[in-house]
Amino acid sequence: MQLVHDIFVLLRKEAILEWRQKYAIGGILLYVLSTVFVVYIAFVRVDAKTWNVLFWIIMLFASINAVVKSFVQENSRRQLYFYTLAHPTAIILSKILYNTLLLGLISILTFVAMSFFTQNMVKDAGLFALILFLGSLGFSIAFTFIAAIAAKANNSATLMAIMGFPVVIPILLTLVKLSANALRIIQDTAYWRDISILLAIDVILLTLVIILFPYLWRD
Amino acid sequence: MWWKILGVVLMLYTIIAGMLIPLSPATAYIDANKTDTGTRLEMTVYGYNTHYTQADDLRVWLKRDTTGYALCANEIKPISDNKISVAFDLPGRVSYFEGATDFSLVVDSGTKDGYSVLPSAVSINQLPGNIQLAESCAINSLNQRAGITFPFRNILEESIRSLYFHVPLWFAMMLLMLISVIYSIVYLSSNNLLYSVRAAAYARVGVLFGILGLITGAIWAKHTWGAYWSWDVKQNTAAVAVLIYMAYFVVRDSFDDLDKQARISSVYNIFAFASLIPLLFVIPRLADSLHPGNGGNPALGSNDLDNTMRMVFYPGVIAMMLIGAWMSNLLWRINWLRLKRLSNF
Repeated sequence: MQLVHDIFVLLRKEAILEWRQKYAIGGILLYVLSTVFVVYIAFVRVDAKTWNVLFWIIMLFASINAVVKSFVQENSRRQLYFYTLAHPTAIILSKILYNTLLLGLISILTFVAMSFFTQNMVKDAGLFALILFLGSLGFSIAFTFIAAIAAKANNSATLMAIMGFPVVIPILLTLVKLSANALRIIQDTAYWRDISILLAIDVILLTLVIILFPYLWRD
Repeated sequence: MWWKILGVVLMLYTIIAGMLIPLSPATAYIDANKTDTGTRLEMTVYGYNTHYTQADDLRVWLKRDTTGYALCANEIKPISDNKISVAFDLPGRVSYFEGATDFSLVVDSGTKDGYSVLPSAVSINQLPGNIQLAESCAINSLNQRAGITFPFRNILEESIRSLYFHVPLWFAMMLLMLISVIYSIVYLSSNNLLYSVRAAAYARVGVLFGILGLITGAIWAKHTWGAYWSWDVKQNTAAVAVLIYMAYFVVRDSFDDLDKQARISSVYNIFAFASLIPLLFVIPRLADSLHPGNGGNPALGSNDLDNTMRMVFYPGVIAMMLIGAWMSNLLWRINWLRLKRLSNF
């Protein structure tokens, strides 16, 4: 119970910090909008298949930019202070939860922006919403942990991309296939298999994060 | 010590046996594919590794694919060791039903080469007409070839030998990566720098094997699929797997402090291995692929490996694993000595 309480307190702290430095979240949202805009200027006309791929590529880059600052924005002394107050599991879980919400917001914004510039290509809204949630969760787990590793090094932005992209590819490939289903580019009635694979990857990565993070933060 | 010798002996055996054992004599292709009933069907049969002119008992049949019904050749004339000219006087009726029926070509070239089958070689179109079904010319007393050979497969041809090197490389890579992850786990629980050095060495040799696996795969793909890189899902995921470990080395190199380097790279190694498993074993099975073992294609099934191939393939796998372990062993010893010398200064 203490853990759950800690997670929510830390989550509130993250949200307050974000609200105080509005430029960070504003920057990410503007990043998404301008990327979508640039992509449409370059493509002019976009069919469903391209829409699908573009959506996830924009999501991927926006996610990595949103999550990379998770551990860099707090200096090591303040982090040490947090670690004396709360269990490392509570800290990483609160960060993952916060990033999931943030990425969920970014994915909705990307979807709205892309639909605004062409049209709504999604045929199965329920499935697509589920995919957005699972995608945000998967990206959040993988990238938050990678950000925690990268923050330990000096050139963290480069490391983040080098480590993050290969690790996230299994999630990304499953997401693209699933969302092709929601856009009715392919008709696969057995898409529950893909969803369970995505869930399984998320659960495995989350378990590993919880086990491994206590080894990571100690210096 | 003994396992190093065993590794070298098995590797030599795999290279010598894998490269020197010839492919079995077989019918490679013919220059006919379609005809009607009641006509004379003339064709040239091209053999691979065959000795048609030395054959003591050269016989040719056309056999219906689904039943035992067969027709004997009326004229057989060897042109050279790899070429025979064959003619069939097709009867008016070879099937109860009108339309095309596939026939396989069976060539028996005596005791030296044995018999071989070219499946679905000719499609014979049954024309209408009230004619009796011609009598079947029975296929009997087929000769078995003598000697040890690898099977001849169309498309694969000589590239079938890649199996003894390409597949063991990946098996060995998976083993080395597994050992590397185990050493990373041991490092995190013991904080002994030696295990981190071992984990890095095993991963490094694993990556080398992965790159060699990609190269041998690309060469094999050039022959069978027509291009070095066909953006096949298996090729892509294998390349990403190599990328993951490249990132592992970048992570290692980006820390100056040895304990910090060991701890953080161990954490990343375990995390990366967890995403390697779905990448190599789950994702390729979901997508369409040309690679055996994916998208419904068989791999290592009874149709793909005959007993002669097994005799070379399994020792090849063991040899590659032993050699990989030996290379990693040498590498971590060198790195460990270097590290100790560094800390003395």
